[in-house]
Amino acid sequence: MRSEEFHLSDQDLLLALDGELPDSHIERVTEHLAACWDCRSRRSQLENTIEKFVKERHAVLDPQLPAETGRRALLKAHLSELASASPSNFWAKSVRGLAQRKSVAAGLAAALALSVAASIMLYRSHRQIVSYDDALALMEPSRKLTPGAVREINLRDICDAPQNEDAARVVPASLQQEVFREYGIEGAHPRDYEVDFLITPELGGSNDIHNLWPEPYRSTVWNAHVKDELEDLLRAKVCNGELELATAQRDISYDWISAYKKYFHTDKPL
Amino acid sequence: MSDFLFGMRLRGPGIDTAGILAKAVQKASDHSYSENETEVIRLFDEYRNRLLRYTLGFGLSIHDAEEIVQEVFLSLFRHLQLGRPRDNLRGWLFRVAHNLALKLREARHARLDSEELSDVVADRQVDLSPGPEQLLVSAQRQKCLLAVVHALPERDQCCLQLRAEGLRYREIADVLDMSLGAVSNSLSRSIARLTQADREVT
Repeated sequence: MRSEEFHLSDQDLLLALDGELPDSHIERVTEHLAACWDCRSRRSQLENTIEKFVKERHAVLDPQLPAETGRRALLKAHLSELASASPSNFWAKSVRGLAQRKSVAAGLAAALALSVAASIMLYRSHRQIVSYDDALALMEPSRKLTPGAVREINLRDICDAPQNEDAARVVPASLQQEVFREYGIEGAHPRDYEVDFLITPELGGSNDIHNLWPEPYRSTVWNAHVKDELEDLLRAKVCNGELELATAQRDISYDWISAYKKYFHTDKPL
Repeated sequence: MSDFLFGMRLRGPGIDTAGILAKAVQKASDHSYSENETEVIRLFDEYRNRLLRYTLGFGLSIHDAEEIVQEVFLSLFRHLQLGRPRDNLRGWLFRVAHNLALKLREARHARLDSEELSDVVADRQVDLSPGPEQLLVSAQRQKCLLAVVHALPERDQCCLQLRAEGLRYREIADVLDMSLGAVSNSLSRSIARLTQADREVT
């Protein structure tokens, strides 16, 4: 800050406008501003710039913002799913229950507390993984690890088979663990991921590690449930003769989210 | 494969999508809300638009921005469920959005660099409503100040955008991992640059 015989710097003026001046400076700056028309005029120039910037920013960005109702409903649905699955509720209740029963030996309580702490730490570290990198990375599979793989199959096999035939879809636990390992999420909870076929068996996809990836159920909007819808639609189109099987296989394996947008004519999951 | 959609599965091509959403909403409304859920929804209502605008500043599509904001609030719920600190949740929201936006942008760029365009990707580009970059091109013609902002160093842009969304200097410093003095310097430098540009035009 300059002394009073000089003028206030732009930085001081902005700090004053934003109410961010350190207490020790407030009085001096206020007094100077009361006395100095030059500084007041510079202050209003800054204010004017801010006003213009804010107006332009809203004019460009706000028309892009979609209505929030759909996302809000989805968030609520996800939250209630998460809340009912949350282990922390369970542990919190058990610990409270135990504390009320005085007959429980102190040693037992201590041992339990330790194991609770350990589970919570495990849960935390696991959640952290799911919430950042991987949630985003796994919306779509890595094309290197999961390029997609198909087996020899003809249309009749695809269209005559009862849908959702479980035998074709079973991924052995050992293979699931291998997929988790490949994607660097060893120890992930199977309930959070569906080890999914990139090209679904119903469209001729094979049970090969190159056709499998861990798809998050909950953490993103583009989750396993949404992909299921696309698979159903593509199969129906193939069997109605509206779409070549090879095209369906290529589109779903190249980028299933774009394929969903293309076939459902939408920008977000319906 | 999923119980959730099992009922829809046998109906063939006419998928009852309205029904799917209605079911999800119904499921949500059957459920009695915990304190944390109510808090997350309250913050969603208050900060959703601000976080979207901030995220768009990273050159992501509106669709990506929406994904990020959704993920931010799911993370917030986990944060609250784990009993982590509740002071400065506003700063926390912007910090998580900032980190997710950087990561997603990196992933998108890596992807565009390493892969040829297929017709599916070409479709996606046609499908997109004008992205922030295209809007900035038109902004350069009509809107002088936003073009100037776009030319600032990224950290200065972030400071300015966060300030524009109502964050105090302390919160900005936390989000961007800067000192308070650095935030103040950055903001006054940017406003000075904007003032100068504005003077040159008028």
